[in-house]
Amino acid sequence: MTYVEYKQLNPFQRFAYNTKKFFCNIPHAVAHFFTALGKAIVKFFVGIGKGFANYGKTFVKGDWATKLSYLIFGVGDLSKGKYYKGILFFAVEVLYILYMAFFGWGYLKMFPTLGIQAQRTEYINGIIPKQVPGDNSMLILLYSVLTLVITVVVFAIYITNIKDAYRHQIMKANGQKPTSFKYDMKQFLDGKYHITLMSFPVLMIGIFNVLPLIFMILIAFTNYDKQHMPPGTLFTWIGFDNFGSLFNLVEGAKKGYTFIKLTEWTLIWAVAATFSNYILGMIFALMINKKGIKFKSLWRTLFVITIAVPQFVSLLLMNQMLQSNGAVNILLSNITNSHVEIQWLNQDATLARWVVIIINCWVGIPYTILSMSGILMNIPEDLYESARIDGAGPVKTFTAITLPYMLFVTTPQLITQFVGNINNFNVIYLLSNGNPTTEKYYQAGETDILVTWLFKLTMNSQDYGLAAAIGILVFVICATLSLIVYNNSKSMKDEEAFS
Amino acid sequence: MKKILAILLAGMMTATALVGCGGGDASSKTDNGSKADNGSSDGAAKIEGSIVDDSYFGDEGTDSKPVTLKVWAPDAAVSLVKEQVEAFKKAYPNRKFKEISVVAQGEKDAATNMLNDATTAADVFSFPSDQLNKLVDAGVISQVAFKDAVTEANDEGTVKAGTLNGTLYAYPETNDNGYYLVYDKSVVSDEQAQTLEGVLDACKKAGKKFIMNAGDGYYACTFAFTAGVKIDGLEKDGITQKFVKYDEDEAVKTLQAFAKLIKDYRGTFQSLDVANIASGFASGKCGAGIDGSWDTASNQKALGDNFGAAKLPTINVNGTDKQLISMFGYKYIGVNGSSKFPATAQILAHYLAGEECQLQRTEKLGWGPANKKVQENKAVTGSPVLKAIGEQAKNACIQVNVANTFWDPMANLGNKIIADTCDPSDAAAMKKLLNETISNVRDEG
Repeated sequence: MTYVEYKQLNPFQRFAYNTKKFFCNIPHAVAHFFTALGKAIVKFFVGIGKGFANYGKTFVKGDWATKLSYLIFGVGDLSKGKYYKGILFFAVEVLYILYMAFFGWGYLKMFPTLGIQAQRTEYINGIIPKQVPGDNSMLILLYSVLTLVITVVVFAIYITNIKDAYRHQIMKANGQKPTSFKYDMKQFLDGKYHITLMSFPVLMIGIFNVLPLIFMILIAFTNYDKQHMPPGTLFTWIGFDNFGSLFNLVEGAKKGYTFIKLTEWTLIWAVAATFSNYILGMIFALMINKKGIKFKSLWRTLFVITIAVPQFVSLLLMNQMLQSNGAVNILLSNITNSHVEIQWLNQDATLARWVVIIINCWVGIPYTILSMSGILMNIPEDLYESARIDGAGPVKTFTAITLPYMLFVTTPQLITQFVGNINNFNVIYLLSNGNPTTEKYYQAGETDILVTWLFKLTMNSQDYGLAAAIGILVFVICATLSLIVYNNSKSMKDEEAFS
Repeated sequence: MKKILAILLAGMMTATALVGCGGGDASSKTDNGSKADNGSSDGAAKIEGSIVDDSYFGDEGTDSKPVTLKVWAPDAAVSLVKEQVEAFKKAYPNRKFKEISVVAQGEKDAATNMLNDATTAADVFSFPSDQLNKLVDAGVISQVAFKDAVTEANDEGTVKAGTLNGTLYAYPETNDNGYYLVYDKSVVSDEQAQTLEGVLDACKKAGKKFIMNAGDGYYACTFAFTAGVKIDGLEKDGITQKFVKYDEDEAVKTLQAFAKLIKDYRGTFQSLDVANIASGFASGKCGAGIDGSWDTASNQKALGDNFGAAKLPTINVNGTDKQLISMFGYKYIGVNGSSKFPATAQILAHYLAGEECQLQRTEKLGWGPANKKVQENKAVTGSPVLKAIGEQAKNACIQVNVANTFWDPMANLGNKIIADTCDPSDAAAMKKLLNETISNVRDEG
């Protein structure tokens, strides 16, 4: 389609065209994503290869102290008079060896099997039973991950130590003196200030985010479930079996069927919840911001006041109101003067899904109104003025100015909301708890989304391995969708558009 | 000179590193000094009722090792258990107790919390019988030390249900963990209370509700049990639910009868949380309900003299009256396997589950005892509720060895039977539902 043809379309046709274009572009975008990923992987391995090459080269060129640094940390620095650094390097090696000898290796050597000896019972004086702890797969996995991470860090220090030794060797050959301790410390407030600032946060992220994450990911490859509960029984590696059971679509295979069905509903839910909030919120914001509306701040306050009640309280109240003897049914009974008993959440899947989506508007729209009002007030008035002078009506100004501007600003927000809705545990769990129940799914109800299913798997049936696998797949879905949408959005491609 | 210094330092480093390695070999040997089984002589030490011989404590409770224990008890029982713990301390004057704390912990979540982290959980805790296999699977519960004394003192059923693979794992505490028919005597007569049709009819005529939580697997399994689909422990793998052999046609007919009856009395039959029964009695909206022993007090309070309790009614299936079969369980006191004071924990559990403590709980809390002597006590034989529960216990499946996957499919079965969309005349659909439910419980597929 040429530019001229495009300009002749009416707004609806344009929207249809753009939508079509977006979906046609998805395969291309996916392909693009994977080529980029491939390139990054190649780059990574080339980098590693280069690292090894340097490792060998330095050894050949190094003097005796540098060569000895390959075995004993810090020798190179010490021999060149950089005492404090050499001692620090050496301390790292000693600490690491002590750690491995007294703690780490004991767990790491059981990492391939995750333990052999389960706990057993002994009898004190032949009558009082006492459980003698055996291996504990969970602790083995946890401390092995810790040890592996520490090993990686120590390896990085090891490489730094070699590089440093070689650097000092060259400095000495050039007749330079190594810098003093005082000078180096000053550098941390000057040239290396970023290290001073960032080291603590990075350390904390490592301990509280990265470590548990690796641990959880590894769980997905084990058979940690109700039959394998440490310390009573041990669990072990089973490779991709958990993922296999999720994609097992053979007739009668419930886990696979449940996964596919729940993924379907999760996506429908995420799209419906995101756009219902977005569109309705925008309409409310437009109404409030319209010129000539009186008591603007009053309306704004009224609409936003639901935020004052914590979300989970509203949801639990709604849940109670929608029970078969709840307020809604009683109200309907009184209005119609007959006995009304509609099972809003407990019987019909379609009805329950509609109810969940509609109730979600109640808790979601106020936030949209808030952010939208702010954006609306920011649209430059002169744009509207010139549009009016050119003879544009209200519909035209909306489709040509307001909507593009809003979409431009809020696309990233839309994406976060979409991802947030995929993982919207609160609304589903507190409002419907996955009900209505069904015999077709494995440990899930009709309105369960993937995260609430994950929760039920861990809490009700202790399928930790399976739940971890679902967690990983949810992440993959979220990450792929957000990357594709964001990379195709105007906010990304044309950052300067409205500035 | 500098070079020499560097070499010296390097030498020292290597030495330290080697020493480090050497230490590792020594520590990697696991401490498996097993304690000798020299029980033959101590095994004869005396056990009288709930008090055992002082020698069972071993080295626990001495000056060098004073006892610190944590006890989990349900909210309602905390103050009573505290008194009982004080009495326990007095019963063993030679032992030193630093602290025995009693913490409120609902029995419903006892197993879950034990599994979360057994090392910080209570040493002695009470739990309902259905959690037993979960606790045993995870190896967090210790077996009973005074097996013979416990077996002798308590009801046979409670001991049997606490035994898994031939090992007794917990001290029986109550045998009242079940539900029964509770009704307003001014609405439902004692005679009408015998049949489900009678109860529903009486409620309908009075314009009141009959409440049963059919959306909860614990109550909904009544449908399946009455239909003959009863549970029968677990398969050999230890997690798959086993069912007794049943006549499928008969089962389907019974389920259809339930569905038809519920459809006929739509509006009267209400599936609501059991909390609505007591409030319904109080507000006069509820005529009868199926409720558990834990709500007895509030129901009695709401109804006063009109309080009626009976075993579950019968249902008419093609002309024959079938007794409703319920889920019935016991409560136990268990000992944490990783307790730091295993002997004291066992002795305390034995004491708390003993005759005196059971009698106190029966008198003060209205709990039905597991102890044979207490069962003959006036406090039990004179209570209509405990009598109703006792009768219902004869028509019940024992809540032990219930798979984790049992409850949700049963809840679904209940939901589907009471649904507006349920067609009682459609035998094929009912059969499919039953088969799907059972395959879900057994986690097939």
